[in-house]
Amino acid sequence: MIDSTTAHSNEAKFLHTVRESLVPGAKEVRQKKDFLHIFQKTDCLQSVERIQQRNDLDFVNLIASFKENCTPLNLGVHRVRNLYEAGEWITQFARSAEPEFDIEKHIIQHAHPDTHELQLWKRLANDPITVHTTFTEDTEIAEKTRASFIGITVADWGIAESATLVQVTAPSRPRSTSLVPSIHIGILRKNRLLANLAEAYAMLQHNGINSSFTFISGPSKTGDIEAHMVHGAHGPREMHVLIVE
Amino acid sequence: MKPSTISYTDGAKAGLANATLQKSLKKIQNGFGKKAMRHWQTMTDSDLRPRAKARRMQTLEHLDIVLAELAEKIREHGGHVYFAATAEDAVRYTLQVAERNKVNKVVKGKSMTSAEIGIDPALQNAGIEVVETDLGEYIIQLAEDAPSHIIAPCIHMDRFQIGKLFTDKLGHEYSDDPPTLTRMARKSLREKLLSADMGITGCNIACAETGQISLVSNEGNIRMSTTMPRVHVALMGMERIAATFDEHRELLQLLITGATVQKLSTYVSFVGGPRHEGDPDGPEEFHLIVIDNGRSKILADPEFREVLACIRCGACLNICPVYGRIGGHAYNSHYCGPIGAVVTPLLNGINDHADLCKGETLCGACKDVCPVENDLPRMLSALRHKLAYGDKYWQVKPYNRIEAAGFKGWRKAISSRKAYNMLLKVGRFLQKGRIAENGMISSMPGPAGKWTRDRDLKPLATETFTERWRKHHSSRKMEEKS
Ligand code: SF4
Repeated sequence: MIDSTTAHSNEAKFLHTVRESLVPGAKEVRQKKDFLHIFQKTDCLQSVERIQQRNDLDFVNLIASFKENCTPLNLGVHRVRNLYEAGEWITQFARSAEPEFDIEKHIIQHAHPDTHELQLWKRLANDPITVHTTFTEDTEIAEKTRASFIGITVADWGIAESATLVQVTAPSRPRSTSLVPSIHIGILRKNRLLANLAEAYAMLQHNGINSSFTFISGPSKTGDIEAHMVHGAHGPREMHVLIVE
Repeated sequence: MKPSTISYTDGAKAGLANATLQKSLKKIQNGFGKKAMRHWQTMTDSDLRPRAKARRMQTLEHLDIVLAELAEKIREHGGHVYFAATAEDAVRYTLQVAERNKVNKVVKGKSMTSAEIGIDPALQNAGIEVVETDLGEYIIQLAEDAPSHIIAPCIHMDRFQIGKLFTDKLGHEYSDDPPTLTRMARKSLREKLLSADMGITGCNIACAETGQISLVSNEGNIRMSTTMPRVHVALMGMERIAATFDEHRELLQLLITGATVQKLSTYVSFVGGPRHEGDPDGPEEFHLIVIDNGRSKILADPEFREVLACIRCGACLNICPVYGRIGGHAYNSHYCGPIGAVVTPLLNGINDHADLCKGETLCGACKDVCPVENDLPRMLSALRHKLAYGDKYWQVKPYNRIEAAGFKGWRKAISSRKAYNMLLKVGRFLQKGRIAENGMISSMPGPAGKWTRDRDLKPLATETFTERWRKHHSSRKMEEKS
């Protein structure tokens, strides 16, 4: 392994070459503090305030736009009044949907107050369907995720313009839940809807970015064979968003 | 995979003769190319492209500072950053990481930089299995072929060839149905993705402010490659970076519009370090390799610095009339199309890749469609200029001394009326008997024969404009007199 001192001198040499290409003959290392203008952030507060002041009518419009943009992506979208109804919907869905890789039916859901309210383990208690939750203490999450045909996540935000769910990684919210199972169901609270990508960037920035995050817009797809669109390349082949009002 | 080693002309001929390729090229150009162009013309924020370009150039002008910031932030997240001056450095470092982690299997997300540095053969020589996971790249890897488009690598193959390939190499029952073929690949690749020890990806656009790289895909293979294996190594050309999060957003939007005119690709993931404590997935180790490999030389030349603004969206391929005919293989490079015609000579030698800049027509379509308004035609002309007159910085030898001498003579000839008239006479004499039925000259003797090998030449007029003018002018004078 290259030890840290070699890596360091290596870095200095590399950056020196870059600097030489830009300001030939410069002796000193250029410091960030002398060039703050290139790191000038735009103020996200204004956008955040505007977002927080949205009223019911605004949300009606955002939902309409989100829905419209789901269609070309082959992304199912369903409006439910509350999490109870969402739980009902998922229960019905899980009973009729068929697993792709296994015979048994397993479901994995993010550990989140909203998924708790779905009460899936109760509803499915008498069905041959096992429900797992991604609690941090569980050391078998990886295996359970692989065995599951449905993954349920709660989106941090939704973007209406592109029918996108924003998913920020957290200890009890692993990345694979929305990726490895064949069907991904995303729960999105109405007031988490944003208009466009710029608003999503503003909210992310406002909340502080400390971990990885992902934008998800529809099921996995490929057009690599004769530009023929096929869903389910590597990620989920089917995706549904439940908008909770 | 290595690009082929056939000549530009032979590659072009092969491309023209490949009916599948021709069909796909037409489809891509009529679809993505035209759509992107329309999008730019009708979008409301018409200032976006010039604004993003100006910021992009600003970031490039401060690249040392921005890269240092990115490295610092990634290390804060617990990631490793290695700066590789050359392809060999990058390969060596990757091998060391693989060895230390006892890696047996590597899954790759599509990355042109990985092809540029030749990581696959190096890993394979070390006894490591390497699997491309982008469906197109996977097909190319199975066929031991080279990609022919930046975002649609196997457009030169049809479903029948792919079906046969899957039967031969994977032992599947033959099918030529794209959904069935995709499902076959999904199954085999899923196993690989879930069992690999290391994921290697490129980097679409890094962001110094947040200390992350971002990766774009529709298939989800890149998310898989960066989530499931224990180690993630990201290869990044040193110019692929935005200073701020805001700059990142605009570039991301431009990249996706340029590439596929989607509103957002299915997956855009932002990663900048290993998994956090308590995370059940994500890599245990994250390495970012920042690669120079000839880029600082481009950066230092104001004439070509602009080409580093490229975000590799492939839009210029989708509009170029030359690429649209000959396809990607003729370019003999990991980077094809108009962007390849500029960047390949700069990275790999201008003399060695002289045909590329001469093959393009300078029609300007690539500049019009480019999300960062890269003036590729200007740079193509600059390359031609260097080939004609030689260049010390780029170590270019004048390409063709005979041609240069010819043009010198021509300059003399056309500045003397007498000499020019003489030449006309000689020319008319020589072309006698060479004019074919279609009124064109289709073969010329000696070295001039190259010119007519693939096209016809219009013969000299029996009377030039000046000659006719003289005739009519004098006859009019006579009329006036009478
Ligand atoms: S030169 Fe422009 S159009 Fe071509 S790949 Fe680069 S960014 Fe895209």
